[in-house]
Amino acid sequence: MMEFLRSNQPVFDFFLLALGFAYSQQIVLRCGVFSLATAAFAALGAYASALLLTRLGLPAFVDIAAALLVGALSGWLVSIPLAHLRGVYQAIATLGLVEVVVSLALYAEPLTGGAVGINSLPKLVGTPALLVAVLTTGYLMHAISGSGLGRSFDALRQDEMVAASLGVSSRRNHALAFVLSGAIGGMFGGLQALYAYSVQPTQFGFAFMVASLTAIILGGRRSLLGPAIGAAILTLLPELARPLAEYRPLVNGVILIVVVVFLPQGAGDTLFAALRQRRVRRLADKMGKV
Amino acid sequence: MLGQQILNGLVSGAIYALFALGFNLIFGVQKVLNLAHGGVFMSGAFIAYYAVIVGLPFWVALLLAIVACGLISVLIDLLGFQPLRKRSLADAEFGAIVISIGVDLILATIAQRLSATKVLSFPFGTFPVEFYRGLGLRISLLQIAIVILVAVLLAALMLFLKRTSFGRQVRAVALNERAAALLGVSARSVYFQTFFIAGGMAGLAGVLIGLSFNSVHFLMGEPYMLKAFVVVVLGGLGNLPGAVAASLLLGVMQTMTVVYLPAGLSDTLIFGTLFVVLLFWPNGLFGGASVPAGQGRQ
Repeated sequence: MMEFLRSNQPVFDFFLLALGFAYSQQIVLRCGVFSLATAAFAALGAYASALLLTRLGLPAFVDIAAALLVGALSGWLVSIPLAHLRGVYQAIATLGLVEVVVSLALYAEPLTGGAVGINSLPKLVGTPALLVAVLTTGYLMHAISGSGLGRSFDALRQDEMVAASLGVSSRRNHALAFVLSGAIGGMFGGLQALYAYSVQPTQFGFAFMVASLTAIILGGRRSLLGPAIGAAILTLLPELARPLAEYRPLVNGVILIVVVVFLPQGAGDTLFAALRQRRVRRLADKMGKV
Repeated sequence: MLGQQILNGLVSGAIYALFALGFNLIFGVQKVLNLAHGGVFMSGAFIAYYAVIVGLPFWVALLLAIVACGLISVLIDLLGFQPLRKRSLADAEFGAIVISIGVDLILATIAQRLSATKVLSFPFGTFPVEFYRGLGLRISLLQIAIVILVAVLLAALMLFLKRTSFGRQVRAVALNERAAALLGVSARSVYFQTFFIAGGMAGLAGVLIGLSFNSVHFLMGEPYMLKAFVVVVLGGLGNLPGAVAASLLLGVMQTMTVVYLPAGLSDTLIFGTLFVVLLFWPNGLFGGASVPAGQGRQ
């Protein structure tokens, strides 16, 4: 096991990063907010930590914490104007936000290095740090699921009118989901910057958005393990299917279509629902015999 | 100089209109965003390019691209969007975006493999290169052809939607599919025709863009897809005349910002505008969006 992990360590690290971004995407979708802003939060976090490290020489821990705060703050700021938009309008607005962040990163060359980005960063983040970040985030998601907050999110996603009539504030919960998504996205953006030696604006464009969305589609919008399954499929697929490497986007595209058409809850959530049903049936059988 | 920039902006705005109208038509009828529209646009340019390379006359290549893109678009509807229609609005919205991203990835990969990731260009003389001058302005034959073609097509589309029985059926399905079906309107044929028209217009826009910039490559759809968002938001989602006005506005705005502002700020400004308009006029500058921006999801 350890031998296997060591030889595949970069793949494992990419998986952890992808999982972090997937959680950032999942928390807003869970609340019924169709936000695609994770890429923007990740870009802001990555640039924040890279700049603090190169300009001020602050230690890695402080850089990552700052990335988290920048992400959370921008999440909160975004949530205010988006409070009166729903559905596709949220998707378009957040897509616009991602484009603005990316084009500003390209434009503000003295600060961000333009298209070249910020390079030759020291590698201050390794597998243990990523693992700790993912486990902490996972625990947070788990805690939210078990609390009233998780139930409020689920209610808002399923039917906003009913949720509102039961006293669940969509404004407050949406804002909270944005702050959480921003904090998680920003933190993993910062981790990625200090892990991958460099930050470039093109990392955070359309492809990034598609990747984190795909992980959730594959995994599901509710469960804790769903995004892990989705991120694992996405990072392992190119490794397993080396001959197909050139057709990787095509394979991803086919997977997206098949999953949405045939497994609308996402592969992970459908699997867990089926398992739960089987357990219930077995229990019912047992009760019947007694 | 200023007049020339406005003229160039209006011509590129006309092509934006061609592209964004199809996108908007699909939204108006089915209330979903078709993110594969950029891929269909790119396919149009590729099909016309290969048809010209094979030796077909340009107008045949153009027709071929339009019909093929219409069929691709219909196929997307049949395979991807049809299964979503039974689901709730929120699920259909989400599912359609994901499915169309999937289709876009597939189309882009095929094009990338075909072209070996190279930028292709139409052979010289595919369309006669001629320039006319007057009033201190310079306009090419291609630009004139584009403006006339787009104007005729848009007028035909508007007449079609407002004056024919088919147009009334489209608007009935857009308003309420169930009620329309009860009155004997075949929703299936309406979807088929709207997707065909939308795809055909995207394909034509792809050929025209490929010709005017003389470059055809597998990622050419992406910036147009993103600009189409700006157009439909400015014009109001589902509002067709609004989309035409917004396209022309965007075309002029883009040439102006590229010429008069420091390089790189153009996109920031355009997408910043998108954000601001969504905040203050979420139903479009002219109102009349077909799905209210703030409606709660059930």
